[in-house]
Amino acid sequence: MNLIAQTLADGLVLGGIYALAAVGFSLIFGVLHVINLSHGILVLMGAYLALILSTALRIDPLLTMPLVMIGLFCVGYVYQRFLIQRAVDRASVNSMLLTFGVALMLQNAMIWLFSPDMKSITPSYAFASFKLGPVNFDAVRVSALAASLVLLSLLALFLKFSPLGRVIRATAQQTMAAQLCGVNVRHVYALTFAVSAAFAGAAGIVIGIILPFSPADEGNWTLNAFVVVVLGGVGSPAGALIGGLLLGIVNTLTAQYVGPAFPNVTMFLLLVLLLLVRPHGLLGNAFAASR
Amino acid sequence: MRRRDVLRTVGAAALAAPAVRSAQAQAKTLVFGGSVPLTGAAAETGLNVNNGYITAVSYLNDKLGGVEIAGEKYKLELKLFDDASDPARATTLIQRQIDDGTNFFLGSFGSNIVLPTAAITERAKKPMVQTGGGSDAIFTKGYKYVFGMYPRATRQFASTAALFKTLTPTPTTYSVIWTNDAFSKTAGEGVKLSCDAAGFKRLDAFELPAKPTDVSSVLGSVRANSPDLLVCVMHDQDSLLIARQMVASNTYVKLLFQGLGPQLASFREALGKYSEALLCSTYWDESVPYKDKFFGDSRKFAEYYRSKITRPIAYHTAGAAACIETYILAMQAAKSTNPEAVREALAVADYETFYSRIKFTPDGDGDPIIMGSMIGQVQKSKLEIVYPEAASSAKAIYPQPAWDKKA
Amino acid sequence: MVAAAVVLAFGPLVLPSFYVRVGQLMLYSAGLGVAWAILGGFAGYASFGHAAFIGVGAFAAGLAESYFPNLPTPLLLPLGLVVGGTCCAILSAVIAYPILRLRGTFFAIAMLGVSHVCAEVTNNVDFFQGSLGLNFPPIAPASMDPAIFFYELYLVAGLAVLLIAWKIRYSRFGAGLLSIREDEDTARMLGVPTERYKRLAFVVSAVLTGLLGVIYGHSLGYITTESVYRDDTNLSLIVYSLLGGMGTLYGPVIGAFSLVFVTQVILGRLLDFHLFATGLMLVLLILLAPGGVLGLLKRRAA
Repeated sequence: MNLIAQTLADGLVLGGIYALAAVGFSLIFGVLHVINLSHGILVLMGAYLALILSTALRIDPLLTMPLVMIGLFCVGYVYQRFLIQRAVDRASVNSMLLTFGVALMLQNAMIWLFSPDMKSITPSYAFASFKLGPVNFDAVRVSALAASLVLLSLLALFLKFSPLGRVIRATAQQTMAAQLCGVNVRHVYALTFAVSAAFAGAAGIVIGIILPFSPADEGNWTLNAFVVVVLGGVGSPAGALIGGLLLGIVNTLTAQYVGPAFPNVTMFLLLVLLLLVRPHGLLGNAFAASR
Repeated sequence: MRRRDVLRTVGAAALAAPAVRSAQAQAKTLVFGGSVPLTGAAAETGLNVNNGYITAVSYLNDKLGGVEIAGEKYKLELKLFDDASDPARATTLIQRQIDDGTNFFLGSFGSNIVLPTAAITERAKKPMVQTGGGSDAIFTKGYKYVFGMYPRATRQFASTAALFKTLTPTPTTYSVIWTNDAFSKTAGEGVKLSCDAAGFKRLDAFELPAKPTDVSSVLGSVRANSPDLLVCVMHDQDSLLIARQMVASNTYVKLLFQGLGPQLASFREALGKYSEALLCSTYWDESVPYKDKFFGDSRKFAEYYRSKITRPIAYHTAGAAACIETYILAMQAAKSTNPEAVREALAVADYETFYSRIKFTPDGDGDPIIMGSMIGQVQKSKLEIVYPEAASSAKAIYPQPAWDKKA
Repeated sequence: MVAAAVVLAFGPLVLPSFYVRVGQLMLYSAGLGVAWAILGGFAGYASFGHAAFIGVGAFAAGLAESYFPNLPTPLLLPLGLVVGGTCCAILSAVIAYPILRLRGTFFAIAMLGVSHVCAEVTNNVDFFQGSLGLNFPPIAPASMDPAIFFYELYLVAGLAVLLIAWKIRYSRFGAGLLSIREDEDTARMLGVPTERYKRLAFVVSAVLTGLLGVIYGHSLGYITTESVYRDDTNLSLIVYSLLGGMGTLYGPVIGAFSLVFVTQVILGRLLDFHLFATGLMLVLLILLAPGGVLGLLKRRAA
């Protein structure tokens, strides 16, 4: 009984982190219909920035979040407006290839700047843990989870209630109509991407405190985001949360009961199966026009 | 960015070599070819290996003015390319070097790259001395021209198992964890072979995916079964993950051995006080007492390295420099730069270098006792050598203190 | 085309071995590109996971051959091709039904998932020896330089693939595929057997890719999971068509030749630049010439 409880708890904690790491990707896919293969690189940028800032300013890495998010917001806006938009105007597969090309360039740049060595961010509570009943919790992972939940809720609130959030949703649901209403679609796209990049960066900080990272990891996080989006649904933080939690639990359950080497197999099998059965994910496409 | 500067200089020098050669009619050039992974999964170690080559060549060229072989003076030149951890790229580009007339090769890092490239150099009958591929597959093909600085993977654990037997009170049980990649898996087999042969009882053998993100289930089993010894065979990133999760979940074992990890300063820094008493394998440390014809001894090598490169030194760096030195010693013994003659000399080599005594088995891998790993242990944030006795700088701490008792 | 083939066949006799190896890669990549384009270019179903078939073909062949160590050498490669090809045919036929129901990006991602599932299974299930590595018996005749042997082998294979693609392109089947790319629903309404054609294209594409994978495994001699199940291969197959002209017959060939030449010959000399340079090339390509080389030529002619 205890083992199952522990496994589920570990899965939920892991899942919350996956969710945060994927929500940006999900938003871009839902609103811009772009598959951003440079997502993983943006996550890593967040991690490296957090490392630099937390060592330079001597503060807890989670506190660097506002700075990192603002930085990545600006980068994301420029990236989308001046680079990706141009490619998308042609055909959608182009955006995949363009973002892949950018990912390669940035990965190389990271190797120059930071060397290919693994780095890790070690907050002061990195080794603490506490117990809740029979279940053990790793303090770092729990704080990462807490940060994820807070950020996801903020994003959900923003999308639902703020004027900009409404504009984004409108543009996603009915682009033509939004344009007719005077929305500057390019600007909105760029803002959406910027928000997504900011969240990717925040995810990077969270990941950076629990896992050692290096430039070669970027592909994993993009792939993880894919799976989360397919599982949970496109375009909404709730979808990302469901997808992430599901992925996390599947991961830990497989590791515990099938074998530690098998979580990835299960993850991709799940991806393929879900694409066949319910390609829009459990919560569907948040921006799907009602038919 | 000194690494880049050094690389650029070497690159520029390599490109300018033809012009320089004609100007310097007296000194001939000795070219070493090969690839290193400077990007891709193996880049971290690839960089260390590359630095080792650069250090050796610049020392021999600048400090000693070149090397003398059979009465002639030679300057050394490195012609290495980035294989991006891709075997197709490595094999194609190494073929180009053979076409260009390169006679002597250094190895890449990672058995899945070393093997196909070794097949090519073997066929062209050019020697390769490498410090990057330990998989048994490389040394069981009957190759005559390939030499490795490490014993093959399944024999690499022999010295560690021997250390375990000297501990008091004698441990009885062990568990082993490895990640699913060509090296760690064969090394894991080696652990099982050596430990079982030494009489320890195996409780569990866990296999993790190549890039694990969470090991809580494995650690749960470790807590349940309580082995005396826990052996981890994997890359340093994964070692750090396991160590951190062990601390956080309060998983205690009397001895934690992590093949790759504690040797690196970045690892010890990340774990802080918890890295105390962790063991690792190391093939070299600046404190080893070997004497060297060119560098003097290990400390002088390390000093020279630090005068040129800011990146912290790692044993791969020393191993790589030793590859070049082994070549030179073999050429001097053979009194020739003819590939065949050099190969003959390498096959019977028995040299003392700052890295270790160099001696190969008939199959080309390092002799398991002479070139086997030493065991290092972190004591007060420094890496001390605890085995073998002859090279040790401190006594092993066993059992390790509980996590919360580590100062 | 015949003239080009003859010229290519004699290349190795005059070129140094390095260029023969580059030639090998060029022919291999071109073959893969054309095989991919049968599904991705003609029918418009851009698969992001064709490396799955390279891997399945190579591992199936290698494993089969390891069970018959005493077979005379000339029979080894045919055995490998048959086993590798059959396994790819079975795999693709089985997944064709469900997976071709997806369109566009979903299809692409699903294939990526398939590629990764195959990679993970190969790596984690000991039977496949993906993590330890699989050895291939040498098949080149002792008197011949293996580099030249494999070059000619790739040339023959590449020509075969091109020929098959050419026949498809100018047949009714091919016309059907093109109509699927243009507008699948309308095509179906007009009586084109879209489902059958898609599945056929999928299986043909998979088998051809697998056969090339078998040859690749032999040319490396020792493969691990990372040697064949590569995401950069997955991407390159799309890039070849993009570079040369998506949907055309010779586009992938031009794209493959150019890209391999640039990355191996030109960028082969740059020590730590090549990732950056490849990425930059990709970015510039998308921004400036999305129709590929053939697209540019068409625009020039128009």
